[in-house]
Amino acid sequence: MVLTPDFATRPVISFQHVFKTYPTGTEALRDVNLEVPEGDFLFLVGPSGAGKSTLVRLLIREEKPSKGKIFVDGIELGRMKRRRLPHYRRKVGLVFQDFKLLPNLTVYENVAFAMRVLGDPDHEIQARVAEALDTVSLSGKEHTYPANLSGGEQQRVAIARALAHAPRFIIADEPTGNLDPATAWEIMQLFLRINARGATVVMATHNREIVDLLRRRVIAIDAGQIARDDRSGRYHEDVAKPQVRVQ
Amino acid sequence: MLRNLKFAFNSAWQSFWRNLAVSLAAVLSITLILILAGINLLVGHAFSQVLDGFRDKVSEISINVSDDTPLPNVYDFQQQLAADPRVTSVKFVTKDEALTQFKSDPQNGVLAQQIDGNPLDAKLDVHVKNLGDVAAIDAKARQWSGVDPTDPTNYQGDFVNRMLQLSQWLGLAGAALLVILLIVSVVIVMNTIRTAVYHRRKEIEVMKLVGATEWFVRGPFVIEGIMTGLVAAAIALALLVISYEPVVARFKSDVGFIPLSYDPAFISSLATDLLLAGALLGALGSYIGVRRYVRI
Repeated sequence: MVLTPDFATRPVISFQHVFKTYPTGTEALRDVNLEVPEGDFLFLVGPSGAGKSTLVRLLIREEKPSKGKIFVDGIELGRMKRRRLPHYRRKVGLVFQDFKLLPNLTVYENVAFAMRVLGDPDHEIQARVAEALDTVSLSGKEHTYPANLSGGEQQRVAIARALAHAPRFIIADEPTGNLDPATAWEIMQLFLRINARGATVVMATHNREIVDLLRRRVIAIDAGQIARDDRSGRYHEDVAKPQVRVQ
Repeated sequence: MLRNLKFAFNSAWQSFWRNLAVSLAAVLSITLILILAGINLLVGHAFSQVLDGFRDKVSEISINVSDDTPLPNVYDFQQQLAADPRVTSVKFVTKDEALTQFKSDPQNGVLAQQIDGNPLDAKLDVHVKNLGDVAAIDAKARQWSGVDPTDPTNYQGDFVNRMLQLSQWLGLAGAALLVILLIVSVVIVMNTIRTAVYHRRKEIEVMKLVGATEWFVRGPFVIEGIMTGLVAAAIALALLVISYEPVVARFKSDVGFIPLSYDPAFISSLATDLLLAGALLGALGSYIGVRRYVRI
């Protein structure tokens, strides 16, 4: 079952007139307004340098907005104290294009790492890691090192790590960017399954085929502004089909 | 908490061995600095021993008693001096005892044979608590009616003042050298640890992204720093202990006039100082070195 986002429910992610200007003077985002309800699956699309990655970095609080407010699950990220940041990040599962796996740790250790950081007991770590590896179909590869895995397998390890602490949000920045089309599709199936279990997924991507095939919510960013927010959108604006404008 | 501590110790131990080349570079740098600090402490201790010896000598003043002074007067002045809070002890040496002392000193061998009769004064040997008070006791003695007016005391004001100054300057120089060594070592350790941290920046980035607190990230590095410091301190200590006695013996034979001595009792205090300094240097260097990468 795939959950359809309920726009009537309280948004779990909310951008209110958000601006981001870097110290170099680059205006990465300009007056961005965005609401994401719980259980939503949305694609952030747009050309390179449009502001997608800045939006993701604001969401994981690697950056603070220059102006405006960002709320996630009722917390205003710009005003959150530094010591609260680790607790916030534990609610979020992060997946990146370059996987960010630790090469000197095995598959098991990489996935367990996120839970060790939280100080979870060993027996709980064992059970949850086994479950996460089963979800991404990597059972049996626990003792393999990342260097001996394919790109798709490495990304699945990264997803398992993101899932290990049962996050409510998954934020993925170009998760299929380094993968061939067949593997990219496998990875997308995984994200759909995770979303079906109730996690909200925000994904920045350049993968036109996948966006067009899945027909989920699409937010197109251009020159730091939201150019389009379609409930069931395509990578490029579909002029033949009327769009549901959310904003 | 205990689980986090276990993780930090395991992680520090693994990291120390995995990055053995960098760990050894850090150990070597700290060892060299601690050897220098140890030499400074040992030289300081040797000089303070030498100074203590001199101090002991110059804080004793002999008051020469005039031959015609009645004995009750001498006892009376001896009691006055003994009651003075600045004085540790007063000993009356009769003329005969003074002559025996003079003759028993091998340095006076030839002179003692030529002495006819007893030209020496009886004296009061006064031991003063603080070197700075010797001048006051000397002044008091010179005012006493029973003192030999031609040669009242053996007090050498200039020498004592110079001794006091020298001891102050040596203390200051030693402290300044230790401070310089400390600053240099923290900078070296910080940069060495920063290199180790740079190799592991990806791991730190992942730790932060999955929600590790700053102390969770920092803990293993600080523990690794303490381990590195302790290993370095142990090596430095071993080298210093091995070479301490032979170097002192060599110094004694080459520069005999400075009474340097081997003091095995000082080794335990040196060990405590070096191990503590090693652990602190390692911890401080890691703490500062890892800061830039750990800050969320």
